[in-house]
Order: sequence, then structure tokens, then C-alpha cells
Amino acid sequence: MNAPEELHYTPDHEWVRAEEGGARIGITDFAQDALGDVVYVQLPTVGTTVAKGDTIGEIESTKSVSEVYAPLSGEIVAVNSDLAAAPQHLNEDPYGEGWICAIAASAPDELESLLNAEKYRELTAT
Amino acid sequence: MSLRQSPLRAEHEELGAKLVEFGGWEMPLSYPTGTLAEHLTCRRAAVVFDVSHLGTVLLAGAGTYELLQETFTNDLSKIGPGRAQYTHLLDESGSVVDDCIIWWLNEATFEVMPNASNTASVRDAIGGEDTTATRAIIAVQGPTAREVVARIAPDAAAVAHFGVARFAYHGVECVVAGTGYTGEDGVECAVPAGAAPGFFRDVVAAGAIPAGLGARDTLRLEAGLPLHGHELGPGITPVQAGLNWVVAWNKPAFRGKTALEAERAAGITRRLRGLLSASRRVPRAKDRCLVGGTEVGVVTSGNFSPVLERGIALAFLPPGIADGSEVEVDVRGSAVSTSVVKPPFERLAGLTPH
Repeated sequence: MNAPEELHYTPDHEWVRAEEGGARIGITDFAQDALGDVVYVQLPTVGTTVAKGDTIGEIESTKSVSEVYAPLSGEIVAVNSDLAAAPQHLNEDPYGEGWICAIAASAPDELESLLNAEKYRELTAT
Repeated sequence: MSLRQSPLRAEHEELGAKLVEFGGWEMPLSYPTGTLAEHLTCRRAAVVFDVSHLGTVLLAGAGTYELLQETFTNDLSKIGPGRAQYTHLLDESGSVVDDCIIWWLNEATFEVMPNASNTASVRDAIGGEDTTATRAIIAVQGPTAREVVARIAPDAAAVAHFGVARFAYHGVECVVAGTGYTGEDGVECAVPAGAAPGFFRDVVAAGAIPAGLGARDTLRLEAGLPLHGHELGPGITPVQAGLNWVVAWNKPAFRGKTALEAERAAGITRRLRGLLSASRRVPRAKDRCLVGGTEVGVVTSGNFSPVLERGIALAFLPPGIADGSEVEVDVRGSAVSTSVVKPPFERLAGLTPH
């Protein structure tokens, strides 16, 4: 499974890309493969304040439903509204067009508690 | 307990299938093409399913016809040798123990095909020989299914809708039925285990893409077809499930007939209906149905309709509720708007802009 070197990861199979003033998040290639075809994504609302670990959204596939957790504390500053009409981006391009939302981190140190690519690959090795 | 394996297991692995447990078997959930593409290919062209997990119970000899007539709800006198019939096995309370297809092979030879997990219950009721392990069942379904099968087995492709026939494949005797579980035309072939991998590979080479149980479930739901354990099962009668046509009321007797007649006389208290979501949100089995804030029923199966690109569901609702009525479904705490519709759902394509 593809897990780009420059990203941070959570044990819940989400990725975090550190950006100016915050982070962009999504689900990993491993997660999209396990979910199967995604048919609906419930996005968080821009402006919502979230704490690390909060449920901020839901992803439905033909097979199951799974929750999206905030990998960092902060405020939701952007959401990928294209996913409403094109949830398949999560399958086709999980690290690009399939991004879910952006968070302005209130505790940037939390980034250090996430997994690096090598550790995440170990976690998902079968 | 270890899971049972299909004779096509090696083919599925080679094709990169995701395998899951289903009814005590390890079977393909999907192939790398994905459930949505497999589903849409079945609606537009042809797919091939391995459904070897379905049971086969072989019964032959004098008295078999009478035994089946006294046991199952449907009426074999409406068909004859060389035909298939969908039927139910009930318990004395009228609950559906299993829904089966009976293949009437010749005068006194029948193959009864239960759901994987109900094969033992069906054998308890009718006896017979469990020949499940001796063959694979390979279903080719879709508008071009017969064209695809005709390229490798013209005799099999020529079987009538709900017909049953023997055919030879490279000298191996097989059986074909013009049946399926997708709402599309197609055939289901019983191929001896040793010859099954070759037959399956040839069907794929002839143009059918392999499809897994994920697509089989979305296809049957979109077609409004019941799944035992969801729309049929303990406490559920064929009448509640809207399957009166499966019940031959004029037969002198069949198991569960007394209870079923009592229910019909008293009137049913719930009936299976279709729900079409106003959005892509998907009601799921066991979600509550509400009208005006009052709970009125429960979802039995729900998923995404790839044809309509909306959530769809089957649900038990009060019998009087009219088509077009608004029903709210509680999907994990959020209210999803749906309307009551008459399945099959895929027939609504083009009628329901969104």
C-alpha cells in the first residue's frame, strides 16, 4: 500500500499533511482499499472547533460505514465539498483529490505524536 | 470451524479478489474492479459470479414430487420437468425457514437449492443427498450474458427463462438454469468441481467480468429481491414479505399453511416496502423508520443504488402506508428523508431526477 514519505499518519488510517498554519487530512490508501467503493462522505462544518480524537465525519462504502476522527485539535478551516458529488475521489486519489478537510491546529505539538510513514507501513504490513 | 472453499478458490486469488466469510464459506466480496463497476457492468453487459456456496440437495425416486408438494409453498404442478421454480420452506408458525430454487431435472429427479447457511434445515425437512461439494455454481448475469455464454457453450445459452437443461462442456455433463438473483437475464450453471475452474476461466475470457458478493447484494437489493436473514426469516411470513405469489393457497396442504391462512384472515400487521432516499445517504439494516416522529417500522436491508446514485432500502412498514409517503429513517442519529416506492428500484432510473 502506498504511504507517502512526507505525511504523518494515525493508527485509524488517516493521513495528515502539515501546511502553513495547519494541516490537511484524509484517509490512507490502506483505508480506502479496506472500505471498498466509497458512496457518501459526511463532511465537518467549516468553523467548528474540534479536539483530537473527536468524530468529525463519516465515510460510507457499499460495504460499511466508518467514522473520521480529528487527528489534531483546532478549527476546521476548509472542507473538500467536491466529495459530495464525487466521493470516488477517496478511492481514486486518497492523498490528493480525496482530501477531506483542513484544520488550523491549536496545538501544533500534537503532530509529533502521529506516526511517520515508516511506522505506518509497519502497522499495515500483513 | 474452518471455512468451506469453492472449487474456484485459486481463480479468485489469481484475480485479486477480496475474500470474506459468508454462510460458513470463504467467498469473493469484490475483485479489483470494485463493487460499483461490477454492479453497473451487470446492468449494462455481463458479469460472472461464483455462487458455489448455495446448497444443492438431490432428491430422486417415487414419492419425491409428492414430498416436495407437501413441504414447500409453491406448486410444482404449475411447471414440469425441465423447469425451475422459486419456493419457500416454512415452519408451522408460517415463518420462512428458507427460500429455495427447485430445479426439476427429469420426471422424478429434483435439485433443491437452499441458501448456504440453511442447507442443513432444508435437508432436515426433505432428506435427500447433499451434493454441494461436488460442483461449482457459476452464474452469468446481465443483458449480454447469453451472448457471452453462447461463445463457449451454445446449448447452455439457449436455456429458457426459468428452464433447466443438461449440457456437455468438453465432454463433462453440467446443468444450466435460466435463473438468477440480479433482476437481469442470465443463466446459472452447475459444473462438476473438476471442470469448474476451466469453465469459469472460459466465461471470463468470453467477456464476462468477475463480480463478487458485494455487487450481488447491491444488485438483488436494487431489484427488490429478498435475502434470507434480512427480508425473510424467523417471525417473517411470505405474506409480510409481499411474496403471496410464492404461496399456492389452493394446494391441500403444505407446511405452515394453517398459520399462514390465519394470518391472511386476520390481516397482516406489517408489509415489506421499498424506500428511496432523497440523497446519497444510505439507510442500513435495523435503522428505525418514523412518520411524524412516531416509529412505524424498521429497515431490513439498505445500501447505495449505483443506478440511481441514491440510498435505497427495504423496510417493514404498516400495511396501509401509500406509495409516495414520506418516511424518515434514523441513520445513526441523523434523520434521512425517504419516500415509499415500489421496487424494483432500478426501474425508477430516469423517472426521478435529483
